[in-house]
Amino acid sequence: MADKRFSKKGKNKTTILGRRDVLKIAGATAGAAVVTQVVTKGPLSAEAIQGIGAQTHPHQGSTEHEWHMVIDLSKCIGCYYCVRACQAVNNVANDDMRWNIVFPEQTENGTDFFMNRPCQHCQDAPCVRVCPVGATWVRPDGIVAMDYKRCIGCRYCEVACPYDVRRFNWKMPESENRFVPKWGESEVDLRPRGVVEKCTFCVQRIDRAIELGLTPGVNRGVSPACVEICPVNARVFGDIHDQNSPVSKYMQEHPTFRLREDWGTEPKVHYVRPEKENV
Amino acid sequence: MATIASTKTRSSTNRPLSIWLAILVGFLLVGFYAMAQVLIKGLQVTNLSDRVPWGLWITQDLSSIALGAGAFTFSAAVYLFRVKRLEPLARAAVFIGFLGYTSAMLALAMDIGRPDRFWHPLVFWNVHSVLWEITWCVILYSSVLVMEVLPLLFESRFFDQWPWLRNFGHRIHRLTPVLALLGMALSLLHQSSLGATYGVLSGRAIWFKPSLPVMFIISAVAGGMSLTLLATILTSKLRQRPLIPESTKREVARLVGYILLAYIYIKLWDWAATSYYSHAPGTASALEILQATTPYTTTFWWIEIIMGGIIPAVVLLYQPFRRSDRALVAGLGLIVLGVVVNRWNVTLSGLVAPPNWSPGILGNVVAASYSPTLIEITVALGILAYGLLGFTLGARYLPLYAHESPHLSTGN
Repeated sequence: MADKRFSKKGKNKTTILGRRDVLKIAGATAGAAVVTQVVTKGPLSAEAIQGIGAQTHPHQGSTEHEWHMVIDLSKCIGCYYCVRACQAVNNVANDDMRWNIVFPEQTENGTDFFMNRPCQHCQDAPCVRVCPVGATWVRPDGIVAMDYKRCIGCRYCEVACPYDVRRFNWKMPESENRFVPKWGESEVDLRPRGVVEKCTFCVQRIDRAIELGLTPGVNRGVSPACVEICPVNARVFGDIHDQNSPVSKYMQEHPTFRLREDWGTEPKVHYVRPEKENV
Repeated sequence: MATIASTKTRSSTNRPLSIWLAILVGFLLVGFYAMAQVLIKGLQVTNLSDRVPWGLWITQDLSSIALGAGAFTFSAAVYLFRVKRLEPLARAAVFIGFLGYTSAMLALAMDIGRPDRFWHPLVFWNVHSVLWEITWCVILYSSVLVMEVLPLLFESRFFDQWPWLRNFGHRIHRLTPVLALLGMALSLLHQSSLGATYGVLSGRAIWFKPSLPVMFIISAVAGGMSLTLLATILTSKLRQRPLIPESTKREVARLVGYILLAYIYIKLWDWAATSYYSHAPGTASALEILQATTPYTTTFWWIEIIMGGIIPAVVLLYQPFRRSDRALVAGLGLIVLGVVVNRWNVTLSGLVAPPNWSPGILGNVVAASYSPTLIEITVALGILAYGLLGFTLGARYLPLYAHESPHLSTGN
């Protein structure tokens, strides 16, 4: 029987690995070496990871600009206009999918204020690090972008993000948007069910601005919707590399802080304290 | 049912077995219905949310993989390090591992939002992601398990008509030492990386610690060996014949006891260093929230530590207890339960007590909550039924234990 022949062959082998096995292992090792080379030096190097999605996305921004936002908590009156404009422009009909949230808060001294929280666009973003398919990345201009076509919906980014900015499409998104047209026109497509989405700093506007030679944060129509609609100018946006941009100027004039700097995430959203500091 | 019972069995109809199989098939069918609901309606049928995006299915995924760790442990011990005394359990361990990993993949397919894109991690790489590494390891290791299980499968009488298949199986079987080596390497990577999934998240204070990967692999080895031995003892009781030598049984039990002791020791220092002796603000506030508003502190101490650790360690290491099969079954069962509860606690505690980022004092004091929906539970029971059905059929029709098949010995 074949079984017998097999066991005899087995008996003759005194070593654990036969010659053929050694060859196989050698082959596998060589293969692994090639893979390692590709990973470390080839198209999938650490630098390339930052630029993942470059092929699928025409606009990547450039290192020339780096987009930052300042939110002045001492100015915010809690009108929620920014929340609604965001929902209209970014096609977020469902209230529990809000990318930009505002809620009543209180300081340790008992002063009431309204906390605002868009995506923090961390330079060292925990969500980008953990995504198993590279569906989210930090663009050269600092915006944390998403590729909805690549996302598998594992939600590890939601688990990793300590600021709770990410939203998963638990169901088919609603196309009926009660904020349109009152608060703006939808500028981006609906995302499919089963993928994660988040605030993009209205990246479609920024890319258009660069194309048209306009300046986001200064020109109307090309700044984030929340910044443009704010009736008290509590939100300021612009290029941190430009000394004269609104954001640079505001930061020179006001002391700012970022949320949980101790995490080392390097957010690009800066806050002015709700209480004027007595200096 | 009737077909399974009537084809190729020497014994006449076995009533309790038929009833058991019927129950499992029932759970499986209801599970399939629930899975269809998930695929049709999406994850809105779950109680998961953006604050608690992982729940029952991730727990099942982590538990199935951990409890499948017996496969690599016994394979490496028997086929690589040639510990012949453990050989009687090796094939059952590999088979249980196969069922565990396939269960995990089923649970994951349900859990990801786009199961149609399951292949994306293979094509789109992010080498910085622990989850990417885990995906690769789990897929590769599952292939190893398939190669280890195939010879076993071809050994069943069903394949009598195709001798070339059995021959092919024997050829694969010759690769066993290589497979054992690969399996050990891959398992040492991903079993601990599953803990690192949480351990590397610097924004989540109660997760962010280097001990998680270590605790995950040790508990997986203890849990995987326990489940293999537990399933073997129960099968042998039900079939009323010894399947493995008594000495092997006692030795494995004692070994698991020592591994458990090591685990408890590391766990003790993990607790002492991260909360008792230190008072890191993030960890302290998260633990306060957990203690004040959730049952996780209680389930940690009572189920994980006392029931899942200390009691079974005593049972497995105190000889009079170890001599009794009943005590052994209880002890091993508690370890398995402890591993599952640990995976649940680790996952949920970190999510339910969210990190505090608001500069105010009202923002983040509220704990999130989660309890699975009926559909989530039904899917999980369906997957569990798949595993139990697989093992029942395997124990009945495959040569899982050495004396049942003279052909498949390791060859010396």
